[in-house]
Amino acid sequence: MTETEAAGVLADDRSDGGMRMTTGGAAQRRRLRRDFAGLAVLIAGVVAFPLLASSQLVFVAVFAGVFALAALGLSLLLGLAGQISLGHAGFLAIGAYTSAILTTRYQQNALLASVVAVGVTMVTAAAVGTPILRLRGHYLALATLGFGIIVAVVANQWDFTGGQSGIFGIRKVEFNGRVYDDPSEQFWLVWAAVVGALILARNLASGRVGRALGAVNDSEVAAETLGVDTFRLRLQVFVLSAGLAAVAGSCYAHVVGVVNAQAASFLLSVELLLMAVIGGLASVWGAVVGAIFVRALSEALTAYIPRVVPGASGEYQLIGFGVVLVVAVIFLPGGFVSAGTRLAGRLGARRRPRTPVSGGGVTAASDHEATGEAAPLLLRAGRPAVGTAVLLVRGLELHFGGVRAVQSVDLEVRTGEIVGLIGPNGAGKTTLFNVVSGVLPPTAGTVEVGGARLEGRRPHAVAAARAARTFQNLEIFSSMTVVGNVAVGRHLRSRAGVVAGALALPARAEERAIDAEARRLVELLGLGDVADSPAADLPFGRQRLVEIARALATEPDLLLLDEPMAGLSAAERAGLAGLLRRLRAGGMAILLVEHDIEAVMALADRVAVLDDGRRIAYGAPSEVSDDPAVIEAYLGADAEQTTLGGPA
Amino acid sequence: MTGPWPPTSRTVRDRGVIDFLQLTVAGLSAGSAYGLVAVGFVTIHSVTGIINLAQGEFAMVAAFVAIALLAAGLPLPIAALLAVLVVALGAAAVERVAIAPAAGSSVVAYIMLTLGVSITLKASALLIEGPQPSALPAFTPGILSFGGVLVRPQDLWILAATAVAALGLYGFLERTVTGKAFRACAEQPTAARLVGISPSRMSTLSFVLAGVVGAVAGVASSPVIQTDWNIGLFLGLKGFVAASLGGLASIPAAIAGGLLLGVVESLGAFYISSGLRDAIAFFVLIVVLVARPSGVFSTHAGVRAGVRAH
Amino acid sequence: MTRSSFRWIGATLTVLLLLLAGCAESDDAADPGATGPAGEATVAGTGVPGGDGTATAGAATEAGEATDTEGATDTSGEEGPIRMGAVLDITGPGANLGGPERDTLQLLAEQINAAGGVDGREVELDIRDNQSREDEAATQLTSLLQEEVDIILGASRTGPSLAMRPLAEQAAIPMISLAANQAIVDGSEWVFKTAQNDRVVVEKIVAYMQTQDWQTLGLVRDASAFGEGVADLFRDVSGDADIVAVEERFATDATEFTAQMLSLRSAGADVNVIWGIPPAAATATQAYRDLGLDIPLMHSHGIGNQVFLEVAGPAAEGVVFPIGRLLVADELGDDDPQKEVITTFVADYADAYGAPPSTFAGHAYDAFQLAVQAFGEVGTDPAAVRDYLETAELTGISGVFRMTPEDHSGLTSDALVIVEVADGDWTLAADQPDGS
Repeated sequence: MTETEAAGVLADDRSDGGMRMTTGGAAQRRRLRRDFAGLAVLIAGVVAFPLLASSQLVFVAVFAGVFALAALGLSLLLGLAGQISLGHAGFLAIGAYTSAILTTRYQQNALLASVVAVGVTMVTAAAVGTPILRLRGHYLALATLGFGIIVAVVANQWDFTGGQSGIFGIRKVEFNGRVYDDPSEQFWLVWAAVVGALILARNLASGRVGRALGAVNDSEVAAETLGVDTFRLRLQVFVLSAGLAAVAGSCYAHVVGVVNAQAASFLLSVELLLMAVIGGLASVWGAVVGAIFVRALSEALTAYIPRVVPGASGEYQLIGFGVVLVVAVIFLPGGFVSAGTRLAGRLGARRRPRTPVSGGGVTAASDHEATGEAAPLLLRAGRPAVGTAVLLVRGLELHFGGVRAVQSVDLEVRTGEIVGLIGPNGAGKTTLFNVVSGVLPPTAGTVEVGGARLEGRRPHAVAAARAARTFQNLEIFSSMTVVGNVAVGRHLRSRAGVVAGALALPARAEERAIDAEARRLVELLGLGDVADSPAADLPFGRQRLVEIARALATEPDLLLLDEPMAGLSAAERAGLAGLLRRLRAGGMAILLVEHDIEAVMALADRVAVLDDGRRIAYGAPSEVSDDPAVIEAYLGADAEQTTLGGPA
Repeated sequence: MTGPWPPTSRTVRDRGVIDFLQLTVAGLSAGSAYGLVAVGFVTIHSVTGIINLAQGEFAMVAAFVAIALLAAGLPLPIAALLAVLVVALGAAAVERVAIAPAAGSSVVAYIMLTLGVSITLKASALLIEGPQPSALPAFTPGILSFGGVLVRPQDLWILAATAVAALGLYGFLERTVTGKAFRACAEQPTAARLVGISPSRMSTLSFVLAGVVGAVAGVASSPVIQTDWNIGLFLGLKGFVAASLGGLASIPAAIAGGLLLGVVESLGAFYISSGLRDAIAFFVLIVVLVARPSGVFSTHAGVRAGVRAH
Repeated sequence: MTRSSFRWIGATLTVLLLLLAGCAESDDAADPGATGPAGEATVAGTGVPGGDGTATAGAATEAGEATDTEGATDTSGEEGPIRMGAVLDITGPGANLGGPERDTLQLLAEQINAAGGVDGREVELDIRDNQSREDEAATQLTSLLQEEVDIILGASRTGPSLAMRPLAEQAAIPMISLAANQAIVDGSEWVFKTAQNDRVVVEKIVAYMQTQDWQTLGLVRDASAFGEGVADLFRDVSGDADIVAVEERFATDATEFTAQMLSLRSAGADVNVIWGIPPAAATATQAYRDLGLDIPLMHSHGIGNQVFLEVAGPAAEGVVFPIGRLLVADELGDDDPQKEVITTFVADYADAYGAPPSTFAGHAYDAFQLAVQAFGEVGTDPAAVRDYLETAELTGISGVFRMTPEDHSGLTSDALVIVEVADGDWTLAADQPDGS
């Protein structure tokens, strides 16, 4: 197991772990309704709570709200971006200190100070995140932990931050000379922020950014080749989650009136983590539920333990945190929200009977097959004229240690043509694909896509140059539906970023367009009957078609297909071949790796043959199939008489 | 709230060399404990791929057990040995109860599991022992002078205990059948499984071994560092920094990483600022992780940490 | 599916409500005198007319336990129990201070209630633990203010006390800190303190240095607020800008001191001063001896408890420091005005807890007595109590207090004597500056 695979969410292998979103009309509408209802209940609760509860209870609830804000950020980071932070209290502290210093030393208004504090924290997070988010798993966990401790030590030592005693006398929130320091008022202020943050987080998770990160959690390489800039998105979520921690820190500073280095303590980071995990990472609601639970647990343990253990003193409530954390990870990997959802699912109506997942065919092809004259499909305004070389590979070399997997390969693919790439197993075909699509950096040589030099660039840069690919070993987004998979392909063709996504309204129309386009492509590939089924439930052959639809969704000029025919029925193969012809007629350039040599020879305008990392033949199918070097490569030196299957 | 930054000012030093050596001794003493804890990290990580965040707590628990046994009237050597034994068994129990049931979980899940164990042990110690620190007496009292450099005998005890524990572990892994099976499991897990070595048994064994070295660190260093319930956090974190310096893969490199970290900290506290002592270790950690993830003692740098296959 | 989604929300809400209900119940369960469910309390806390809800037998309430939120919260009234809130460093680095202080307050509350209370009004104590944290001190104080207490005692150390000060000032409730740093009461309106000001401690040390003919000192101080500004105080009090040859600091939870001690060794001052509290101050003393420093060693008044002697062990021998008379009560002359107060307190405390009180216990004693004296004279109106405290006089454990509106501390360096550690115990040093 590589850590890349494991670095994702809490419970990859066992249950619904991450904040994964299913695109698809019905599911989305259901989710929307549920979230609206939940919000309405939450808001009603927030308004009513201080009127009903004792002021001591309200005081406790104020802190639950403060920590819910930070836990929500951490939950986004864990559930959405699949990244862990054991030093999140460090960001909370930076926000709290900034707010405290601005109000006490520079007499700024609490609200303005909070805004600046969030800004300062987010800038810090970007600076810290840029190097350390390149780390994974344990290394990232420990690096963030180290960051939190550095913040605590510096806050403790620096006179500017008040040394060990910190900063006190922080002003409460004030409007028009009225001080809001009653617990009920503080409760409403803090929980209004929680509701706002919850809405932002929910929108973010269910929109374009959430979908892309969900895809990353399923298959980072596939998401990257569809144009998702994983690192950038993760960094953005990291910065956003630090911003939420800073909001919490600001609230903390103004509620308590004191900030010291304890705000950055490791134990607070752990408490935040516990809140996110126990609530459940699968939904943004988890952090809020978790925060309430953990604060209640803390208060209860603080009150009860001294009765059981006379003379107990200190932060003994930690024992509850430790036990709950272990038990939750083992028995409740999805947290409370996920357990609640499962319970509700069991109580409610039984799941819809599973739709049949076989049958159908590539619809686009069948009509014109007989005529032999393919009707153009998926034309794109602005695509280079037919005959323009959109892929130019020159002198490509890739060495693994002493093994030369690719040796001085030249290749050219023009718009409006299909180039077949064949060769025996281990000839380096998939490796060449990986270099061209940016998955592997070459040792030497150049790769030009759409006129831009891209060798050594990341896959999302190649995708941005309008090259899309599929995978020989399927890289389907297994937590998503078929439409959801294809929608990820629209990532580059849509714009809503973290901010617009969080605000939701600007992104709504775009989301509808994405869904419509994805459905159109799903129909085109003959997958209409399974559009809303989980993609992982499909047979392998049809999963390949999903990958093709996904690649086409990026509106590529260059399509790189790695063994698309494997696992397809004869009818499906014919349908796919027809589709490819129509795409060619529309001006797309297609590079096709295929074991089914007959199919390649029938489809391709030119064929390149790789053997042992070298290009041993290149030309029209008929020339290549007669080439003695090719025959030898395939059949060994003895097979003089055999010819490869010629064009039909 | 006003004052210079960095927060110390100094006069000219005239005993530079002796001071330097004195600081180095202090650094080696602290560094030995880091090194042993680091060995615990390496032992568990090499077989299971888990970073055991409860590693520092093994040391803390061992010290408290030894103190309790001593108070119960046992002689110091017996108390120390029993403490190591108790922690070794405890570590096995931790593996069986908390780690094994979650087999196949993600890295994040394991981080949280070991974190949960760590906090549980810590809080239990707080409930049982209270917040006050306590310490074992020095194994031998007095003070030794080597040309003006003063050395506590306990510092030598710590170094000796580190050497014995590390060599003992090394011998166990090199010379015994079980040890060889353990190494096979770490280096060639698939092959090891094929020849009938049980990964789950080796996982338990890795915790036992880590428990032993952690316990030795805790007992030997207790007389000089004042064991309290929270000491495991910093011992564990610094042990991890030491293990990272060594690339998380080799026992000698982990020990070397610990000694290096101890000395750097000690010198940094004197020549830079005593207040920033703890930040030094973590600054080193982040720089090492980002710049040279395979460790400063490893020969092949440049492999991105975390994407290496195990 | 809609139905199931509502069920989902319902399930979540039920869980939340159960949790909240659990909290409310814990409040009730914690307080046998509660007259109704906690949920009935009004937000504004306008107060129920006094006289009810006073059936609580043991008035002293342990830290962390909730107390009656319903009954008798009328602050302006002069009936019903007197509510004293305390925020102490019961756990964390200040635990050596806060523990004995809590014990003292509980002892005194029991004594006074057994004697019929103050003007027939029972004294109720609500003691909170701030975990030696500034932010927690502020949180606990805010929580106590919700309970409408009549006075605040604490915190044990300077940092938490400074954190509490603005809140007490804003709420206009008298507060008596048990900590040392003069900044706690500088220019304060509502805040008083009973520990000797660090300034008078520095005066005493400087006076002692003069008797020994020492010109310079090396300072290693606690990095917390307790040690803040001490070097400047030395310069200020002595009038000698060069008196501090070197200044180093250590964290309150530090265990390794080689670097700081080597600095002291290099500086070669006439005397070295470690300014901190145990256990760190004790471990630092060990390191001082281990590194063979033979320059005389002084400490602050922060080490006046048994923990210092236990942790430092033989290394403590010969340490000299200024402190109140409590530690050397048995050596006091019969003419000493504090002799009787101290002897009685030592006997009562040892009787109750089986060990002699620390000087910190003495600070708590003085704060409690000042408060009770004020309540006895002027009742519980906050402004009246404040005005009374500004002119209060008390022969206490830490010294003879003479408060003024300008000096909310009320002690001079006469409150201190120089004590030396000999044979593992405190003893009055042979040389006493100013003939005291």
